[in-house]
Amino acid sequence: MISGEQMKRQISHRIPILILALSPFVMVALAVCSVFYGSKSISLSTIWDAFVRFDPNHIDHQIVIHSRLPRAIGALLVGAFLAISGALMQGVTRNYLASPSILGVSDGSAFTITLCMIFMPNASSMEMILMSLVGSALGVAFVYGIASVIPGGLSPVKLAIFGTIVGTFLSSVSMALSTYFQISQDISFWYNARLHQVNPEHVKLAIPFAIVGILLAMLVASKISVMALGEEVARGLGQRTKVVRGIATISVIILTGISVALVGKIGFVGLMIPHITRFLVGMDYRWVVPCAGVIGAMFLSFSDIISRFLNMPFETPIGVVTALFGVPFFLYLIRTRGGGKHA
Amino acid sequence: MHKTTSLRTFWIVFISLVSLILVSLYLHITSGDFDITVMEILRTLLQIDSKPENELVLFEFRMPRMIVAALVGFGLGIAGAIIQGVSRNGLADPGILGINAGAGFAIVVFMFMFQGELFTDGWLGTMIMPIFGLVGGLLAAVVIFVMAWHRGTLDPQRLLLVGIAISSGFGALTLFISLKMNPNDFEAATVWLTGSIYNSNWLYITAMLPWLIILVPILMMKASVLDLLQMKDESASSLGIAINRERIVLLICSIGIVSACVSVSGSIGFVGLLAPHIARRLVGVTHNRLIPICGLIGMLIVVFSDYVGKTIVAPAELPVGIVISLVGVPYFVYLMIRTKGK
Repeated sequence: MISGEQMKRQISHRIPILILALSPFVMVALAVCSVFYGSKSISLSTIWDAFVRFDPNHIDHQIVIHSRLPRAIGALLVGAFLAISGALMQGVTRNYLASPSILGVSDGSAFTITLCMIFMPNASSMEMILMSLVGSALGVAFVYGIASVIPGGLSPVKLAIFGTIVGTFLSSVSMALSTYFQISQDISFWYNARLHQVNPEHVKLAIPFAIVGILLAMLVASKISVMALGEEVARGLGQRTKVVRGIATISVIILTGISVALVGKIGFVGLMIPHITRFLVGMDYRWVVPCAGVIGAMFLSFSDIISRFLNMPFETPIGVVTALFGVPFFLYLIRTRGGGKHA
Repeated sequence: MHKTTSLRTFWIVFISLVSLILVSLYLHITSGDFDITVMEILRTLLQIDSKPENELVLFEFRMPRMIVAALVGFGLGIAGAIIQGVSRNGLADPGILGINAGAGFAIVVFMFMFQGELFTDGWLGTMIMPIFGLVGGLLAAVVIFVMAWHRGTLDPQRLLLVGIAISSGFGALTLFISLKMNPNDFEAATVWLTGSIYNSNWLYITAMLPWLIILVPILMMKASVLDLLQMKDESASSLGIAINRERIVLLICSIGIVSACVSVSGSIGFVGLLAPHIARRLVGVTHNRLIPICGLIGMLIVVFSDYVGKTIVAPAELPVGIVISLVGVPYFVYLMIRTKGK
């Protein structure tokens, strides 16, 4: 990456580099904790054995490899995807409230998965993931479609209200359909995040999509730093804003779509993490995108571990844990930046 | 469009709404798994050689549900009119603002604290629930207004956004608490939370009636104050009105009504949004006419939606809250689009 000679405001590259350098250790530690803590206590040596010499007849080995490990990896991946989606959305729309769960993207995804479960009950994992991608595209189109009809509809606050309302609507329709076709139990299962049931096969299928999504995100990252200065400035600097916006949107659709397909809807990660990341590393999206990814991964993994301790021996839905952090943060954002010229 | 209409229009609207409500009530009470004809209903009501099974179905299941639907709609419609009037925000609604969620949270806390104790099933518990709801609703309202207060005014957009945040926060806390309950109570809590009224009984009706009987007349008496509050603050206070005190009284009364409704039916959104808008078109903006019409429209919406909810996917049932939000959301979007034009 080009860096040093750029500008004076970028002097502090130490923080992002520090974050990126330390994060692998933290992530591994979190993953180990995630594998270690659970309703059944398994000793560290057994876990080690499960990795080194896997014995299919050993129940603990089975639990470690087929349940706990996918969960740990799933939390890290989804956290990263959601945080990167949020960062792209906030950068491109210059909207401090943009995030996949607020702008109806996740709801669109969950909606098409409902349809998929009703009309294609035997859909393969791959088809599920594709449907989920279609759904997140639908959510984006829906919210931006309505918002752009109205003058001033793209302002942060209005867009957030629309997103929430459209989300409510889509989930009501899903609920009505699933009651009608009598599969509401399966659907509520999908709607509520189910990190504890990550399907290892889904994870494997999702990885190529994720790579494409993240590559696209990195590709436009430097352009987004310019766009964050404003549409006119970006165009004045000779940037093709529509192309950048299109690529960023595709990346968001892919990353959010596979997140919902993997674990269902999880709120607030995509809202909070990009803010924290920008606070730490500044406005250069070449650093914001990867740092948001690793911070999001660590945050979700951490929340997942907390969710097992809040209400021992039962698990708390991870959405509750992220909301616990997210709602005060959301209120703080509205309080400090809402209203006035931002409205 | 928003001019004051004549008294005659008011009565025409009033009577047509009442007749529409009667039609919905008729549809509501005659539909269901168990076939009952109109004659049988009349006979059962008048106690002329009625059959015991008809009596059971009518008095234990259909009547309470129908009356709860009517009362909840009435209460939410009026509360919506007051909240929109006080906040001068046409998009305000107790559901969107998170007042429902706050009340719901407090009620779940109540269920959790006293779970398994005898009186929660009895009349005392049912009567106390709305009071807890009121505390939660007030808490939510205080948080919302403190957060949305910006340089001496309530920013309309911000009010909604804070409401959304508050709703999801209280929603998460409610889920958290309800998961700590034992399975039976959890089941009861989730059914109740989704905004369904199919497990209504007479006890619920007696629990919410006092609130409506006391608070609705107070609000009606305050109708003229509410009209004056629509003016600029300076003009209203120059007429000798203690603006902030009146606002607080009005809000507390309406939150009281909302809490009584929520404690019976769970969170039903959008009624308080839709009713005042429709009512304003019909009878204008004078509150002493607006408030009763809002109540009737709310009643009509909930009774009819509940009828739709229980017949459209029969034998399964849709919670009435879902039916209403399917209609309410497009209307909300339409309203947002329209208000932007100005």
